[in-house]
Amino acid sequence: MRRGLWVESALVLVVVGLGFALSPFLYGNESLLFSMMAYVALAQGLNIAYGFTGYLPFGYVGFFGSGAYGTALAIMFLHAPPIAAVVGGGLLAVIFGIVLAPLLRLSGAYFAIANLAASQALYFVVANPHLSNITQGPYGIKLTSVFAPTESYATLWVIVLLATAVAIYLRVSRFGLALRAINQDAQSAEVAGVNVVRGRLVAWLLSALVAGLAGGAYGWHISVFYPHSVFTLRISIFAIVFVLFGGAGTVIGPIIGAVLLYGLYDVIGISTPEYFQLIYGLLIIALVLFLPNGLLSLVRKRVRYVL
Amino acid sequence: MFARLKSRLTAAGLALVACAMALPVVAAQAPQQIKVGTLYASSGPFATSSQSQYEGLKFWVHRVNKNGGVYVKAFDKKIPVKLVSYDDQSSTDTATTLYNQLITQDNVNVLVADFGSVLTSVAVPLAQEHHKLLFDVTGTGAKFFTKNNPYIVLTSLPTSGVWPKSLAQFLNHKGINHVAVLYDSNDFDQSQAETLKHYLDKAGNKPVYYHAVQSNTSSYTVLLHRIAADHPHAVIEFGYPNNDIAFLQALQSSGQHFNMVFTIFPGQLLDLLRSNVGPQGLAHTYTYPTPPLLRYTKKVNFGLNIDQFEKQFQSSTGKSVDFLTVAGYNAGLMIQKALGTAPKFSQISMRHALAHASGKLFTLDGRFKIRSDGAQVGETLPVGQLQPQKGQKNNKMVIVYPPRVATGKAICPAPK
Amino acid sequence: MGLLEYALIGGVLYGLFFGLVGIGLNLIFGVMRMINLAHGDLIMLGAFGAFWVYHLLGVSPMFGIPLEVIGFTIIGIPLYYLVVPRLLATRDPEMLSFILFFGLSQVIEASAVLGFGNNQRSVPGSTLGGGSVVIAGQSFPFAWVVAAGVSVVAILALYAYLYHSRFGYATRAIMANRDEAQTAGINVHRISAAAFVAGFCLAGLAGVFAPYMLGAIDPNMGVDLTTVSFAIVVIGSLGQPLGTVIGGLVYGIATMLMQTYLPSWSNLLPYVLLIAIVLVKPSGLLGRRVRYA
Repeated sequence: MRRGLWVESALVLVVVGLGFALSPFLYGNESLLFSMMAYVALAQGLNIAYGFTGYLPFGYVGFFGSGAYGTALAIMFLHAPPIAAVVGGGLLAVIFGIVLAPLLRLSGAYFAIANLAASQALYFVVANPHLSNITQGPYGIKLTSVFAPTESYATLWVIVLLATAVAIYLRVSRFGLALRAINQDAQSAEVAGVNVVRGRLVAWLLSALVAGLAGGAYGWHISVFYPHSVFTLRISIFAIVFVLFGGAGTVIGPIIGAVLLYGLYDVIGISTPEYFQLIYGLLIIALVLFLPNGLLSLVRKRVRYVL
Repeated sequence: MFARLKSRLTAAGLALVACAMALPVVAAQAPQQIKVGTLYASSGPFATSSQSQYEGLKFWVHRVNKNGGVYVKAFDKKIPVKLVSYDDQSSTDTATTLYNQLITQDNVNVLVADFGSVLTSVAVPLAQEHHKLLFDVTGTGAKFFTKNNPYIVLTSLPTSGVWPKSLAQFLNHKGINHVAVLYDSNDFDQSQAETLKHYLDKAGNKPVYYHAVQSNTSSYTVLLHRIAADHPHAVIEFGYPNNDIAFLQALQSSGQHFNMVFTIFPGQLLDLLRSNVGPQGLAHTYTYPTPPLLRYTKKVNFGLNIDQFEKQFQSSTGKSVDFLTVAGYNAGLMIQKALGTAPKFSQISMRHALAHASGKLFTLDGRFKIRSDGAQVGETLPVGQLQPQKGQKNNKMVIVYPPRVATGKAICPAPK
Repeated sequence: MGLLEYALIGGVLYGLFFGLVGIGLNLIFGVMRMINLAHGDLIMLGAFGAFWVYHLLGVSPMFGIPLEVIGFTIIGIPLYYLVVPRLLATRDPEMLSFILFFGLSQVIEASAVLGFGNNQRSVPGSTLGGGSVVIAGQSFPFAWVVAAGVSVVAILALYAYLYHSRFGYATRAIMANRDEAQTAGINVHRISAAAFVAGFCLAGLAGVFAPYMLGAIDPNMGVDLTTVSFAIVVIGSLGQPLGTVIGGLVYGIATMLMQTYLPSWSNLLPYVLLIAIVLVKPSGLLGRRVRYA
């Protein structure tokens, strides 16, 4: 990897790291910053699936919810320390990803919708009153005994940096190159010696892991949530919109997309709530019509390579 | 001589400095405004109820400011109230961020929750973390109230473990057995169902049908047919307004008939149910009547009673009153009581003031009585029936149980 | 056994209606390969149209159907030409359409909330003929039968259009391969615009019957309908109108059966079925071309 890339990568990690580490001291609403970080992680995780392998998981929130519930179950039944529980949540999301791996045979819209169906199915299972003894069903999870806003913030901070590092790795490595080859033309890539099935699976599971870890940290941070809160379609849609706004397939794109659009969402939400949904909707339409390749497409016209 | 002048000047100087230091301290203690922060939902499934509740709170603020502000005992003066509010669009994620905004950025003096258990839930740990007393208006979830958290008070509805008791007692008392219970799988309705089942089981009156359906169920036709197959004498449906509407509509168009049908929201949002279901669909159904269908006038010893409230609200906003408006106004009354009797201007002091007022305060919403964990066990709701009146289009709400507040007799079984 | 028969017949009626609900989505996807996430909101607009026709004019909402067709055509044509050519020129129109139509759905929902308020509205069943109908010894709401009947008529009409008319033939050509159809001289944009508008109108038509099949309507009902429509369309195969009928029937019957025997799991089954079907037959029940990724 050429030296410039090492510098660029380090720069990205430092900016993201410092940005989120210092901002709580400048702006007290730590829930907002936490949600923003969660969306950065989710956008990056989705980017790993969509930007690199071309699979768009409509039901991406299923991994997020698995992570949240995995963490909750580990804390409630295994009495695991929270950080270990968050890792457990991530692993549960990976297991869910393995279960859904056969869906990778499908293409385009079929995959997207089948994935959506899977996450809805998981939501209905978790929310079902018959499983109240385990998942608490409709009553929701209450983890108030381990409520720790600072520690959970720090945990998510680490997760965001990890997700960014994975994205950087995929962007610059040969493995990432192989993934993009699969994305563009799977048959040619196979012929060229790339293990298509394994490549896709690895990217898919990495993507699931990121969402699961983010979900776990979110569950720990908020400590009180209903099934709907962590399985809502809105989370998937926001992640997808943020990635596409920033620029899929790059590292910086999802970060910028999440920070800008989620920040904008909160600013409008706080100042002019009645027209909020309308403004946000119009903005999104304008974005797709005039900037379909994301914000970074503007930069790419001038700079040859964007991380 | 100069030495004495010098020492006197020094003393005077020191005294002046002391006064100057003391003045800002005293001035800093009494704020210019009392900031009351709350959230409301302008869209999404909770919008209808949330906006009514918000209107009720706004009315309280408006009234209090018309009288020069809310009386704060800690400073022995009236201070104007400023209402700070944000729109959470019925989303818990947004609500979390916005509650935090109210606490950390707006530094509100009083924190009031949004409507319902779902939107209140995320405020509970935040309020506890930042040591802000949460005025929980209608979030009745039993798990919000724990022994070691003083930073919450349920102001306007009884907690879910207490609320359905009157219905259970009515069923047991009237000897109505073969009860079918259909409930929506969310926190609120499941609590209602489980509490009801608990009291029915205890009396040896086990339900013949006890099932949950998903929250967005809107097709009750087949469900009703299935329930009818068990030949129940009473069908109890616990849901949110959209479920009640869909259920009653399906019942009407299916031609089924049951001796007793019970749903929750005709008692709280009667106008909405009337315009969607119609008088025929509501006739002879049972519900929990709430203010303004439940009228407390003579016993009220704090704030407006229901007659006065209806009149003034109508003339001030041009809108009519429903239960959620009453609930929001009642929360305001609790804020007023807390600020008006707390010796210190602190969150804990307000909480103690409310504990002290418990059992003695009677408002348009009923008797205010809280447990040590902040849960409301007063303001209990009776069972009522909507009975058709000769020559009138709309049904009349008749309170049928418990006997001490009943205004009429139940027509049971309901005529075909 | 009364319960089983009731669930099956009810499921057929309900499922036929949902076939109509899904068909607009299927048409737009089949012809333009675009994911209309605003589909449920269009149904919602159709439902409110029916409500206002009843409320303001006092007549049966069926009279609202021609009004809605005109309305959706007026909105649909400019919307098509504004949005679709640009989308098709992008790198990934299928997925970008996803966000664009999501934005559109937000705009529609926000406008509906601002215009109609949040409260539920209803239309009495009597406006469609009221009372109940007895089918095979079981009694069902008459409105259900009307809705199912109209759905069948609409779907047959679409089928006739696609398979027995020149424009329909051209539409199917575009569905098979857009570029080849263009080189064969077909005016791709005009036919696509017609299909786009037809998709909107079909959604609106489904919306007219929504108050009867689904109970009260409100501006937020769109999201759930979109999700269910997707499930139905994919079960039955994207791009195959007849498939949507089958998808609808599968959904309707499955839901009704679950409501009878296992009510709290009733919403789960359609999604589980979808996954099962799609894993066994990757392009849906009627899919002919098996597109392995």
